[in-house]
Formats: sequence, structure tokens, C-alpha cells
Amino acid sequence: MSEQDKLEKLKGDVHIPTGVMLKRIGGYLRPELWRFVLASLFIVVNVALDIVLPLIVSWITNDLKADVINLDYVIGLAVSYVAIGVFNQAFLYWESMLLQKAGQNIIYTLRNEVFEHIEKLSQSQLDEMPVGSLVTRVASYTASMSDLFTNVIVNVIRNVLTVVGVYGIMLYISWQLSLVMLAFIVVVFVSSYVFGKIVRKVFKKERQYISDLNTFLNENLSGMKLIQIFNRQQQKDLEFICKNEDLRKARYKVAIAFGLYRPFITLLYILSIAVTFWLGVEFGLDAAMIVAFYLYLSKFFNPIQNLADQLNNLQKAFTASERLFNLLDVEPDICDREGAVDIDRFDGKIEFRNVWFAYKGEEWILKDVSFVIEPKQTCAFVGATGAGKTTILGLIVRNYDIQKGQILIDDRDITTITVHSLRKAIGQMLQDVFLFGGTVKSNVTLNDDSFTQEEIEEACKYVGADTFINKLEHGLDEQVIERGENFSQGQRQLLSFARTVLHKPQILILDEATANIDTETEVLIQQSLEKIRNIGTMLVVAHRLSTIQHSDQIIVLQHGEIIERGTHQQLLKNKGYYYKLYQLQFESQQNG
Amino acid sequence: MLTGKYLNKFYLKNWWLFLIGVVALVAVDYFQLLIPDYLGKIVDMFDGSAVDKAALREVIVGVIVVAVVMCAGRITWRLSIFNASQKMEAGLRHLMFQKSERLSQKYYHENKVGTVMAWFTTDLETIEEFLGWGSIMLVDALFLTAFVLYKMFRLDWALTLVMLVPLILIVVWGMLVEKFMGLKWEERQKEFDKLYDFSQESFTGIRVIKAFVKETQQLHAFAKVAKKNKDTNIAFVRTAVIFDAVIEVIITAIMALLLGLGGYFVYKYATGQPAHVFGHAVDLTAGQLITFVGYFDVMVWPMMALGQLVSMRSRSKASLKRVTAFLDSEEDVKSPENAVVLQDVKGVVEFKDFSFKYPSSDVEVLKNVTLTIDSGECIGVVGKIGSGKTTLVNTLLRLYNVEKGKVFIDGVDIMDCDIDSVRNAIGYVPQDNFLFSDKVKNNIAFSDRDVDMDRVYEAARFADVHGNIEEFKDGYDTVSGERGVTLSGGQKQRISIARAYIKDAPIMILDDSVSAVDVKTEETILKNIAEKRKGKTTIVIASRVSTVSHMDKILVLSNGEVEAFDAPEKLAESSPTYKKMVFLQKLENEVEGGERK
Repeated sequence: MSEQDKLEKLKGDVHIPTGVMLKRIGGYLRPELWRFVLASLFIVVNVALDIVLPLIVSWITNDLKADVINLDYVIGLAVSYVAIGVFNQAFLYWESMLLQKAGQNIIYTLRNEVFEHIEKLSQSQLDEMPVGSLVTRVASYTASMSDLFTNVIVNVIRNVLTVVGVYGIMLYISWQLSLVMLAFIVVVFVSSYVFGKIVRKVFKKERQYISDLNTFLNENLSGMKLIQIFNRQQQKDLEFICKNEDLRKARYKVAIAFGLYRPFITLLYILSIAVTFWLGVEFGLDAAMIVAFYLYLSKFFNPIQNLADQLNNLQKAFTASERLFNLLDVEPDICDREGAVDIDRFDGKIEFRNVWFAYKGEEWILKDVSFVIEPKQTCAFVGATGAGKTTILGLIVRNYDIQKGQILIDDRDITTITVHSLRKAIGQMLQDVFLFGGTVKSNVTLNDDSFTQEEIEEACKYVGADTFINKLEHGLDEQVIERGENFSQGQRQLLSFARTVLHKPQILILDEATANIDTETEVLIQQSLEKIRNIGTMLVVAHRLSTIQHSDQIIVLQHGEIIERGTHQQLLKNKGYYYKLYQLQFESQQNG
Repeated sequence: MLTGKYLNKFYLKNWWLFLIGVVALVAVDYFQLLIPDYLGKIVDMFDGSAVDKAALREVIVGVIVVAVVMCAGRITWRLSIFNASQKMEAGLRHLMFQKSERLSQKYYHENKVGTVMAWFTTDLETIEEFLGWGSIMLVDALFLTAFVLYKMFRLDWALTLVMLVPLILIVVWGMLVEKFMGLKWEERQKEFDKLYDFSQESFTGIRVIKAFVKETQQLHAFAKVAKKNKDTNIAFVRTAVIFDAVIEVIITAIMALLLGLGGYFVYKYATGQPAHVFGHAVDLTAGQLITFVGYFDVMVWPMMALGQLVSMRSRSKASLKRVTAFLDSEEDVKSPENAVVLQDVKGVVEFKDFSFKYPSSDVEVLKNVTLTIDSGECIGVVGKIGSGKTTLVNTLLRLYNVEKGKVFIDGVDIMDCDIDSVRNAIGYVPQDNFLFSDKVKNNIAFSDRDVDMDRVYEAARFADVHGNIEEFKDGYDTVSGERGVTLSGGQKQRISIARAYIKDAPIMILDDSVSAVDVKTEETILKNIAEKRKGKTTIVIASRVSTVSHMDKILVLSNGEVEAFDAPEKLAESSPTYKKMVFLQKLENEVEGGERK
């Protein structure tokens, strides 16, 4: 699969032939087939009973118009009218529940499958897709696809049966009149179909304007402070008026579309009644037949409109399914090579052998990078932003695969190790610490119940996070709100250290975040790092030179190439790039 | 009806649209009820002899007229009432936006953007729904019921009375169902939101999940949420279906009652012994019974609508209450009457016994701050997190009111100043480097769209970001934000420095604004400040001593108090905090220096 194809798959734009699609969709239906079949049988009963009801009214009319009225017959018919109604509702209940269960089971299976699949995708694949669209696929598209069975197909069956049944009875009452009605059927069907197409277009516009306006509002409410400080209220108001009016006009277009279509159908319906009255008498129908025909007409127009609607829904369900299948068809970039082995423990020797790497095409981020880090050693990477420091860390844990060269751990190519065991052995402390909604504890264990309370507390103590955790009202059980916004940068950092220590890795990688941390908090973090360093081999991307002067090895990167390496003292002696970087900081501090 | 001081204004503006709509609705209701009449007439035409062609023609013409009037009427009310309700929604939204522009930071401190957004979206939609559909349903249900009841009574009042009881049953049932289902629906929505949030969080934090190989655990947790979703949905549909079934059964039962009882009356009447109900003889033909059945059919909808209407109104009333509360909220930061408009600001800033606490807490963030910054001085501000650095500049920007003590710009109490003129005098770089989803060029020229491109370049050079922008494919036309290029933290910071610099304001404030740029760039920017801002007041807040060590004076804040305000070289003696900060950094240097041979 070419890069372009993959990208299109992620976006869900690759067309899947209808036959293939139906077959795949059918696969999800199989376990629920019995429910579906049973429900379909109930639908037949349903429709039949529904069709009988007007007939009863007509029979009663017929009897009441007769010269001698048979009262018992009329009462009997009325009683059976109720009975049929009750039966009808009972069947409807069973049928709805069967379909609902089937549909919800399908959604459940699909959601788990899609979620699991997304988890398997590599980081670079996930980078291509906004989180929002992934969430929509898990939450909404799965429901749209299951809608195909529980709503679209079922309704098509019901409506077709109703139309056929009603038309059959109409033919039985008067075939001439029924033939005339064909004209109405065609007009209603065609206009409903066309309307459905138009309405989808105007709805799409409306949704787009809604999202435009909401984006605008969200951004400007968030940035209101700046708008006020820069006195831009008036200009923003003008921008708002445009967007507000755009949305209002789009909404009104939807109202116009429905405002013309619905009354048009009413017009047809009532005209068909006029035709029935007129031709009914012409064709020699009696009173009861005309009443029956009139009642059937009202049961007739809705199913035809619905059928046209279902055609549109069908398209929607197909689009959703297509996008889902497209996503499911994306093969995870990073997966275990055949014969990849599980490794329980690493010594922690890391080697890069002539590694070349680019996120995209030929834009090389790393160019021919080679280095060796012995077990238990600490290696620091320094250089300007974009030099490739963070990239190196991502490559070791196989967030991305390299294009040329080899990465080895304990002299073994990392592609021959299962991703699972590789990542398990490497403790990652990332630059922006991500905290999940939950508790402090669940954030340290990451919802893994296999850790004991003592282990957790020990890990927190080891990294010095216990000081602030003990001060919290609920300690380890303190609530963490979404994204951990109720914790400071430094606290989050310490929690991420605890997370790592708890999982007992043999190799540690740290992408240092020093921005916005005051000197005192940093001292705390540095103390913590001093200890963590002893756990195993450690790779650090450092922004502050103080962090790295104890490193066994410092690698200086520039534009993806190693330009200097050595210990702190050696590098200072070299009086190269590192020395300059150091001098700059040192001197500005001297002056302070 | 839904009324309120903010809505009434819009009613006055759009009353004619509502009037047209109501007239059309009433006409449709009236004509709609002619159909059962005509059907009854047709049935009664079959009296054994040949059908009267002239009478038949009259009926058919009548039906065609009904068709045309109903079609025209329905088009009219849809277009007029929805036009009105949508105009009112848009109008309200505009009022709200203007209000949001006038509310102070205190308000945004207390209310999350998400909450305010919900008022703009969900609540306005709910209000619009009631103004549109609600009005229509109300008018329709009222008039249709009135017309039908009138017609039924005229046909036979006794039979009508008998029918009334079950009809009321439908209304009551409808209201109960609506209320109950509303609650159930919310439950279901909550579960869906949970699933949505869980997925969102998982995918956002996927790096962590992958890093710790917790994919399986996460999937299990997800499956639990999905299972709950499934169960809630099934339970919801079960309740909904049962409720629907009950109402359908009630309707069928009433219909059967009508047919059975009516049949009996027709039979009695036809055999010449009319039945007596409430002491009145019921004269009913078969045709009239069919008409009656037709009327009943028409009545079902308004009866069910009443239930919906009640819950719709209570929902929209709650929404309107929230919107009104928002529009009524206090604008606490505004220019006083006869405000002094600052002109040709020299940039002398003076705090006098100034204390400040945020509305939500009792702790004074700043205590008795007294200091004077002279025109043209370059001031550094340091202190621990929470020592009140940002609060100090927020006050200067008049984001909050000065309540204790005084703050002067050029000797004028800023509480007496026109707010716009205060803010115009200040170029401000915020801590969070917020950029708008717009072209880089427009972000820099935020304060004045029409500014010369050369000035934009100059500002970008000042912030040392010109080179970076030039490297973008679209250069200064590059769009930042969600739909454009993702800029790095450092790039954003520097663009927001350019945005402030371009104002060439007498006072410039940088709130910890070089934290995300590397040492070299920071040097360049600090050098530019020293050169280009010469003679103009500049205040630089920093978390590191090194950033401010070249400044004319450094203000050291500690727990909200001024610990020292002096030239850098004198601070070592006068400020313990500064001393400690320097010491900590020296400590690092010494260790490094010690290893240097």
C-alpha cells in the first residue's frame, strides 16, 4: 500500500464496492441473525394486522348502511378492533426489543473492535488523524452502521410490505381506482427522493456553519482577555455578525426546504382524496368501499415518503460503514515481525548503527546517527530545537520505524523483539505529562490492578512525590480532573516519575520539560532524577545544562547529525558548540 | 408563550411574522376539519337511490379547495414562524456575544468557557425550538381542539361528552410520559457522553498507554463503558416502546368504543327508537358516525402534543433563565463616568499601598505594594510561583478593579481612566501565548489590521521569529491553529511578542514570555528589548534570574509583598528571595565549574 493510499484510508475516502461492503456488514449480523429473522416475521404480522383495522371500520359502515342492521355483528367487530390493536402492540414490542438488542450487540462488538484497532495503530498513523474524528468513529459511526439493520433495512421491509399490502387491498376494493392512484405514488416517491437529496445538502451547510460559529465562539471566549486588552471588541463583533447571519440564513434554507416539501405532500394526499370521491362514485363503489379507500390512503402516503427517506439513510449508513472499514483496513505500521521474541529482562546496552530517519519522505530528521550506550550508563542529548533529540527517544520504543540503519538493544535488533516486551522494559517520561481523569493512584498504576498499595506508595516515596500527595485531602485517592488540570507542572512531572518507577523498567528515557517550572521545583525534580538514574540505563533530552553534567556521555546534535560527543569536561575542553551553549548560559548567570 | 425582558424586544420586532403564521395556522385547522364532513356527506349520499351528481361535484370542489388552502397555509406558517424564531435566536446570540465582550476577567475566572458555550449553543437551540415548534404546536393544538370540540358538540353533544373522558386520559398520560422519558433520555445521553469522553481521553493520551503497554487494560475499561451504554440504550428503548404501546392501545380502545357505541346509536336511530344519553335522544346516521370517527382521528395529535408542549416549555424556560442570568451578569470592570482619556502616555507607573485578592478567595495575593516605575525604565519582576507577579500586571491592564490602595499611570488614578486608553497604552505579551486561528500576519497585526507589512516584519524581527515565518510554505499567510499549521510553543511565544511590540506602546509587559525559547533566542530578544525599547517603559516577568539580570531594576515579590525593588547588583543584600534564587543557580554553576579544570 502506498503512502497516499494509507492516508486516504485513514480519512475514510477509499471506495469499497457495494458487494464487498454488504458481505462484510453481513458478517456482523450473523450472530444476531435469529433475532433479525424473528423480528422480520413479527413485522409481517404487524403489517397484516395494521391493514385489517380500516377494513373493520369499513365493514361496520357497510352494516350500518344496510337495510337491516346486525347490532351483534357491529359490536363484535368493535371488540375485535380492540383485540387486534392490543395484539398489534404486543408484537410491536417484541419486535422492537429484538431489533434493539441485536443492534446494540452489534454496536458493542463494533466499538470494541474499532477501539482495539485504533490502539494498535502506530504513533505516526495516529498523528495523521485528529482525535475528534477517531472518537466519532468509535462513538457515532458504529451506531450509524448498526442503524442499517435495526432501522434502515427493517423499515424498508415494513414500508414495502405496507405499501404492497395496502395497495393489494385497494386493488381488491377497486382496481380501476387503484390504477389511477399509481400516478400519485410515483409523484410522492420521486419528490421525496429529490427532496431528501436537497435536504442533505442544506443540512450539511447548516452543520458547517454551526461548527464555524462554535469554533469562533470557543476561540474568542477563550481569548477574550486578549480581545479586551487589545481593544478589538468592535472588530470581533463584526466578524461575529457575519457568522451569525450565515448560520441564520442556512437554517432558514432548511426551513424553506421542509416548508415547501411537507405542504406539497399534503396537497397530493388531499387531492387523492378528491379523486377517490369523484372516481369512486364514477366507478360504482359503495359507501363502505369509499370509506375504506379513504382510510387506506392515509396509511399509504407515509410509507412511500419513508421509503424515499430510507434510501437517503441507506446512503448515510453506507458512508459510515465505509469509513469504519477504511479505518479497520489500515494495517498497523508498527507490528511484531515474524519470529519476534519476548524478552523478559534487558541488560540495557543501546546502540544506534548508522540510523537514518524521516517522518515524511526525504526530510531527514536523523542523518547517519551512530552511538553506543553501555548498561546502566546515562546519556544526555543536547542541541537546539528540531535537532532530533526527542526523535531518538521515540525511535527506541518503536513509536516510529527507521528507514535505514539499525537500532540494537543488548546487541539485538529491536525489530526482532516484540513491541510489547520492548516497551515494557523501557520507562518513558514524556515532555508533556498526560494525566487521565480518575485518581492519583489510577494515574500512577494506569488502571492496572496488579500493583499492591505498598508498591505504589514506595514508588511515590522514591521519587519524592509522597510529600505533596500526603498533603492532599484524599492522598492517593484524590480526584484528578480531565488532563490533570488541578495539579501543577512540577507535581505532574513527579507523578510521571512515580508511574515509571512503579513499572520497574530496565531502560529509562526522559524528555525533560523545564519550561515554566521555577527553580525550587526543579531542584526537587533534579533530586528525584538523581535517584531514578540508578535504576538502569538512562537517556535524557536535556534543556538545562545542569541536568546533564553527571552524564556518562553527552551527545550534541545539530540538524540531525551528531557534531560532538563526550563527557561534560571533555566537551568543555573541545571549546565547540557545547562550550558555546554552556558559556552563554553561564555568563548570563554570572552577570546576574 | 415564552416571555422575558430580552425576548419581548424581539417579539415586538417580529410580531407581524407571528401574526401571519397564526392566521395561516388557524385557517389550516379550520379547513382540515372539513374533510371528515365531506366524507360523512359522501357516505350519506348513498341512500339507495342514484348519487346526486351536483352534490358530489360540490363536495369534490370543496375538497380541492381544502387541499389548496392547506398547502398554501402550511407553507405560510412554516416560512413565517420559523423565520421569526430563527431571527430571535440569532438576535439573542448577538446580544450574548456583545455581553461576553463586556464581561470582565473576574467573570471568566468564575465561569468556564465550556459552560458559557453551552448557553450559546444548547440553550439557545432549546429556546428557538419552543419559539418555533412550540408556538406552532400551541396554536395548532388550541384551535384544532376548539374547532373539533365545537363540531363534535354540534353533531351530538352527548356522544362528545362520553368521548371527552378518554381524551383527557391521553393528555395526562402524554404529560407523564414526556416527563419520565425526558429524565430517561438524559440518563442515556450521560452514558453516551461518558463513552465519548473516555474515547477522547484514551486517544489523546495514547502515547502514555502505548509507552506503558496498557492497551489491554484500557480496552477492558472501554468495554465496561460500552457495555453500560448498551444496557442503558436497551432499557431506554424498552420504556419508550411500552409507553408508546400503551398510548396506542388507549387510542385503539377509544376508537373501538366509538365504533361500538356509535354503531349502537345508529342502529337505534335507524330502527326508529333513538337511544337516550343524559336524557337526550341521539340522532346519528352512519355518515355522521364516520364524520365523528374522522374528528376523533384529528383530535389525537393535539392531545399528545399538549404533553410534549408542557415539557418543552419547562425545558426552554430553564434555558431562558440561564441566558437571562448571563445577560444580566454584572459588568464590574468599566470606565467611570467622565473618565480621563490618557494621551501621550510617558509610562510612569505607580502603586500605592495596593492590595489585591481574587473574588473567589480570601487570601490577599498582593499586600501593600508601593513602588514607582519611572518613564523609560526596564524592569524585571521575579518571585516564586504564586507570588503575585501576574496579578500585578493584570491590575495595570485594568482586568480587575483596584479596591485597596491606588494605582497610577502618569499620575492619574487608573480607576478614573478610560479603560480603552489604558489598554491602548500597553503592549502586552501573555503567559499562555494564545494565538487566534488566523494568518500569522493578522495575528501579529492584531491591534491594527491595516498596518504596513514592513512594520509586521520589523515586529517579527524584534521577536526573532521573522526567519521562522519565512521558512513556512505560506510565509506570513500561514494559518495557525486547528485548521492550519501547528506552531511550536516557542514560535507562538515569539509571535505574541511581535503582536505586542507592533503597538509601539509607551508601556510593554512580557509575562514570563521567553520560557519556551532557547537560550540564544532569549538573548536576542532581551538585546532587542534593550535597544528598541530604549526610553519606553518595559516590564519583564521571569521565572529565572538570568532573564532579568540586565534590567535597570528588579522587583522581587515574595508572598504578595515587595521584598525588594532595586538595581540587580544591590539586590543580593536587600532581598533574601533573590539571594536564594541566585544561590540556587550559582550552585548549579559551581558544580559545573568545579568539574572544569
